[in-house]
Amino acid sequence: MNLLEISNLKTHFFTEAGVVKAVDDVSFNVEKGCTLGLVGESGSGKSVTAQSVLRIVPKPGRIVDGKILFDGEDLVQKKDGEMQRYRGKRISLIFQDPTSSLNPLFTIGNQLSDIVIQHDKVKKDAAIETVIKTLKLTRLPDPEEAIRRYPHQFSGGMKQRICIARALLLNPQLLFADEPTTSLDVTIQAQIISLLKDLQKDIGMTLVMITHDMGVVAEMCKCVVVLYAGHVMEIGPIETIFEAPHPYTAALLKAVPRLDQTRKLISIPGNIPNLITPPTGCRFHPRCEYAVALCKEKKPPLEDVGGDHFISCHRWRELRRGA
Amino acid sequence: MGFVKYIIRRGIYMIPLIIGISIVSFLVMYAAGDPIQIATAGNPGITEAQRDFLRHYYGLDTPIPAQYVRWLTHFLQGDFGQSLYGGRPVNEIISFYLFETLKLQLISIFLAFFISIPAGIYSALKQRSAADYTISGISIAGVSLPVFWFGIVLIIVLSYHMGLLPSAGAYGSPKLWPVFGISDPTLDALAHLVMPVTVLTLASLAYNVRLLRAGMLEVLRQDYVMAARASGISERKVLYKYSLKNAITPLITLLGLSIGASLAGAPLTETVFSWPGLGRAYVNAVSKLDFPLIMGTTMIVAIMILVANIITDLSYAWIDPRIHID
Repeated sequence: MNLLEISNLKTHFFTEAGVVKAVDDVSFNVEKGCTLGLVGESGSGKSVTAQSVLRIVPKPGRIVDGKILFDGEDLVQKKDGEMQRYRGKRISLIFQDPTSSLNPLFTIGNQLSDIVIQHDKVKKDAAIETVIKTLKLTRLPDPEEAIRRYPHQFSGGMKQRICIARALLLNPQLLFADEPTTSLDVTIQAQIISLLKDLQKDIGMTLVMITHDMGVVAEMCKCVVVLYAGHVMEIGPIETIFEAPHPYTAALLKAVPRLDQTRKLISIPGNIPNLITPPTGCRFHPRCEYAVALCKEKKPPLEDVGGDHFISCHRWRELRRGA
Repeated sequence: MGFVKYIIRRGIYMIPLIIGISIVSFLVMYAAGDPIQIATAGNPGITEAQRDFLRHYYGLDTPIPAQYVRWLTHFLQGDFGQSLYGGRPVNEIISFYLFETLKLQLISIFLAFFISIPAGIYSALKQRSAADYTISGISIAGVSLPVFWFGIVLIIVLSYHMGLLPSAGAYGSPKLWPVFGISDPTLDALAHLVMPVTVLTLASLAYNVRLLRAGMLEVLRQDYVMAARASGISERKVLYKYSLKNAITPLITLLGLSIGASLAGAPLTETVFSWPGLGRAYVNAVSKLDFPLIMGTTMIVAIMILVANIITDLSYAWIDPRIHID
């Protein structure tokens, strides 16, 4: 059963330079209880997709079209007041940088208990109890003391544990983790990843991991959605994605640094395109080593290639045969 | 506690500053001329011997350092001496005008501060909307209208033509001229405040609104604001709790500076509305070279500005836990 069904989502930013089509016709589903990887380079539309689901897209951006069915209800049609009751309560978001996503001027207890009070209309004491209980869940040392302290008194890893606790306060059904380890040290990254994995297993919530790190995807996710320049390139279960991928996914996989091989770091040539005037046809064609004339002319449909695997590429048949 | 220690230390630092300020103003004042010459200029019957007598009487014939030491000794005992005009004690004159000036200024400063909060937040939230341009327009008009013109227009319209508000002074005679037909001293005092407060509030509103708008624009872009929204915190709380506190520091600085400087009064506004304030008294004292009154007012203003600075610095630490005072 799907907890989240996004169909034909378009979120555009109306800037002075032109309309930035950050998310342009994106569709995918998230199965209940599953961990889904939302993968792509910076600027591919991963974060904006999450912000669209929560309806917190910053100005001048807005959802221009599409449906976001959460538990059978279309979030795009919700009024602001109704939507507010979903945020933090049924759908949560962990931000990339824990330092900038905690307000520096309020104690941890104050910031976190406000969320509980807002949704559950409980007294301050009861809210603080919930906060301490949730901080324990994230293995933050000494939570009773932590609630009296300010964000700058914690290390990056501890702050991310606090941010995870903030997202989990009210046992949301759906959790977006927006590159939760990008701004942390490598050793702390591993701790946070294993914490998220354990929490997902224990609580049984649905998790969407937004990342560009294929290693994290391999470790955590059951299925993957690959975004590029606001388009879906590929959707599929983790095994098939790693076996017979789309040319863009293949390039992403090659870019993962490996300890067991001494070779130069491989990067994908070129840059992510300007989304005001995106490339015609397949948006990846200017950087794709397999591109042919057709790729420039026509946007490839998202084709079912069997085994819950979908690919948006004109040449997937030839490439699979070749592989 | 750190706070008490900090205040004591800042207080001690104030002493050399105040002495420095007093020496500089003393010297500048003497460079300006001879007060007895000015005081007696309109009186042809007075002889040079009588002038010498006056100079001796007010202690103006001793060397300047000796005069300064004498002034300082009295100042340290809280005595500012007597006015050269009429001989009233300076302490008495200052406290009379001080109250009226503070009343006028503090009401205007806090009114501008509290009006600018919703106006600045709204402007930032609806950046480049018609409402934003209207708020900016009104506040910029307020700061651009010259007081002597705007104040007088108000007097002409509201007092002269419409007869609604008293045109001059801080108090009237409610029995003789009842306000809106009611003779009540409190209502009378309030009615006298309306026009000067309007002029002063409008004049400082623009700075407040622009500062808060700029601060809010910066803060609203921050991740922690999006995070508060993403947690389902109500929009009102996101703005007035989780954004305002982060954006308000420049406004507090302005508030501190304005309160400190407010004692020097607003001579123009006070003159236009014949307000019995310290600003007007100060300007008069300077033009007549009333040495004791000039020194007294200068010192009160200097001390107030220094104290306001300490309070401003303390409030930073109170707002932002990352700032340590020591």
